[in-house]
Amino acid sequence: MIHREMVVPNDTEYLATVREEVTKVVEESAFSERDRKLIIVAVDEAVTNIMEHAYDNDLEGELDVELILEYDATRFEVTIRDSGKEFDPRTLHVPDVREHVKKGSKHGLGIFLIRQIMDEVNYNFIQGVRNELQMIKYVDRSRKPETDRSRN
Amino acid sequence: MSDFSINREVKDGIAMIRVQGFLDAHTFEQLEEVIRAVYDEGCFKLVVDLARVDYISSAGAGVFIGARSESQENGGDVVLLNPTEGVKEVFELLGLTQIFKVAEDEAAAVAAF
Repeated sequence: MIHREMVVPNDTEYLATVREEVTKVVEESAFSERDRKLIIVAVDEAVTNIMEHAYDNDLEGELDVELILEYDATRFEVTIRDSGKEFDPRTLHVPDVREHVKKGSKHGLGIFLIRQIMDEVNYNFIQGVRNELQMIKYVDRSRKPETDRSRN
Repeated sequence: MSDFSINREVKDGIAMIRVQGFLDAHTFEQLEEVIRAVYDEGCFKLVVDLARVDYISSAGAGVFIGARSESQENGGDVVLLNPTEGVKEVFELLGLTQIFKVAEDEAAAVAAF
């Protein structure tokens, strides 16, 4: 198991730093090269959503996003914690991409990508403390437990 | 951290936009600004060279969705030139592969309009 934790400012400038850290962890995992790259995309999208939705602009730079990365031979887990306002990304509308393109809509595809890539997306809000978003991907999706809390 | 850069050149009514680096939620607005400047010059045919884009997220892909729409409304289009495997993978997941014109060399990109 690898357990890494990092704290980054609420600033998209740090997305590359987050991706670098995720890259280091998944490089040692049993995931295929393709899945490793996609996991990095999913974490990037989740962190981006938090940066865009959980914090008001005037608080930018004052609050942190916390990442904990774990995996074993069959499972990669990322937990992203922040102390912004309540924001459950699972409530975001998952767009019909064809309609999205037809309208020329530029935003809102992140949650669609996350759901395409990760096997579980769980969310917990602790009143007055923090948001906690957990995403899990299995090397072998058939090993996904039946009793997960995901709406995916 | 990857340096992000964009070069553009308009020739014979077609804009060649070369992007290098990570195209994510931090950098996508720079590409939007360049595309806006090209539109302001009255050019709506865009070739975007993605051969040196190491990474793209949905924010980056969104730029092309918006640009495709505006270009087509004005008689143009967006052609993606030489996207890397990582870019292709994200476009595939988003279901965009069949929607965008993709070319493997500049001559084919120009001929796609």
